[in-house]
Amino acid sequence: MTQTEYLIVAIIILVVLAVTFIVSFVLYKRTPKPKGCEDIEISEEKCAGCNNESCAFYKEKDSIEVLKNKKEEK
Amino acid sequence: MSDFVTFILAIISAMLIDNVVLSRFYGICPFLGVSKKVKSSLGMGIAVVFVILVATCVCWPLYTYILEPAGIPFMDTVAYILVIASLVQLVGLFIKKYSPSLYKSLGIYLPLITTNCAVLGVVQTNTDTGLRFIDALANGLGTSIGFLVIIVVFSCIRTRLESANTPKAFKGLPIALITAAIMAIALMGLQGLFAGI
Repeated sequence: MTQTEYLIVAIIILVVLAVTFIVSFVLYKRTPKPKGCEDIEISEEKCAGCNNESCAFYKEKDSIEVLKNKKEEK
Repeated sequence: MSDFVTFILAIISAMLIDNVVLSRFYGICPFLGVSKKVKSSLGMGIAVVFVILVATCVCWPLYTYILEPAGIPFMDTVAYILVIASLVQLVGLFIKKYSPSLYKSLGIYLPLITTNCAVLGVVQTNTDTGLRFIDALANGLGTSIGFLVIIVVFSCIRTRLESANTPKAFKGLPIALITAAIMAIALMGLQGLFAGI
């Protein structure tokens, strides 16, 4: 294979990887949570040390803050 | 020295002597954030082991047989991030769909692995240092098991520290960081273990 052919293959693979990521991301978001797992998101001990804004659970962070504040009030 | 002995030594070396958390400070975020309970840290560690191993198996051939011959080795970081992120999403999707029990214990840690720089660090080191595939696999295995062992041991210590009589100023993260420093010093003592071999 010539370098140009390698380059084309590399670009195709990178595009495939990007498409795979987007598809898997959308599918992950659309897949409903299994029964009995609804309460796993809000957990201070699991999420307090993480700042991943792209995380599907990130929107729950406010709830974690609320939990923290409640604990401090007690 | 046979390849098998080299493989085992490389695993032990990456696991203890050159521990990714305590000597290179990779993966500090989950190390401090998910080490308050032993069960949580075990779940996180197992998920990291799985992702590092699969990422190593995918990224090394991708770099060696595609990116380097194509003359675009500088695209390695982009490719690795795409591989790791896709891998994490696919694993998460599979677990969410088919294994509710595993999702309950691991599901929350899967998005966190995407931002764990230990995963990216290992695959980057494998290609930057020009390791063979078997050595890259040994490095990935050793590093991930090292991460698992250290995070579980650290969480055990933190659990005991909670009931210990710690001064108020040191409670929480300060004493945890001091503990991590002492653990790093202890592992430094193992340097030169294989010097004579």
